[in-house]
Amino acid sequence: MNWVILIVAGVFEMVGVIGITKVNQSPSVKSYLIMFGGFVLSFSFLSLAMKGISMGTAYAVWSGIGTVGSTLVGMYRYGEPKDARRLFFIAMIIGSVVGLKLIS
Amino acid sequence: MNKNWLLVFIAALFEVMWVIGLKHAQGVLGWAITLIAIIVSFGLLIYSGKKLPTSTVYAVFVGLGTAGTVTSEMVWWGEPFEWLKVGLIAVLLTGIIGLKLVTHETEETERGEGEAK
Repeated sequence: MNWVILIVAGVFEMVGVIGITKVNQSPSVKSYLIMFGGFVLSFSFLSLAMKGISMGTAYAVWSGIGTVGSTLVGMYRYGEPKDARRLFFIAMIIGSVVGLKLIS
Repeated sequence: MNKNWLLVFIAALFEVMWVIGLKHAQGVLGWAITLIAIIVSFGLLIYSGKKLPTSTVYAVFVGLGTAGTVTSEMVWWGEPFEWLKVGLIAVLLTGIIGLKLVTHETEETERGEGEAK
């Protein structure tokens, strides 16, 4: 069950990042709600998941889902560039972030 | 072009402050600084998403924040020094520099003009 909660936390992180895009495209109350709602729910579920999963693992999985997910959504939904070099460097960043959080 | 990237880096600095704050803050002043750092870092993050692709900005923000936090924990809070950590931070920074190099020429202006504001 903790893992389901953790995945939900990662999905809400994606929602928060999408909210940032929305706020920049059209700053309306709805956009701000999506952004704040996404991040607040994400942090809440993350701290819930941490009751059963160790902090390093939880953080690693959470930031992995959030960054990979928001990159994919950005590319396919909001027309952000799909340049292969860009994906390669983002993968390098995400890989090392996950690694660092797992061992710290 | 560098103004937006500079803002992302400053946002990450404030992120390191609040991550450390959440762990180590004591007293009203400590928590006030932590709260201000959260607001400043997210404010800058949102603002830099105006001109740069949000997912790029977010990856850099998360990456630099992690590198900064792990480094500070090793330098000031007595977390064990490990070469693996240093190696991963080096990979991470390489990724960020690379991402910055491929982003600034191709997409920045294109996207900036797209939002007529």
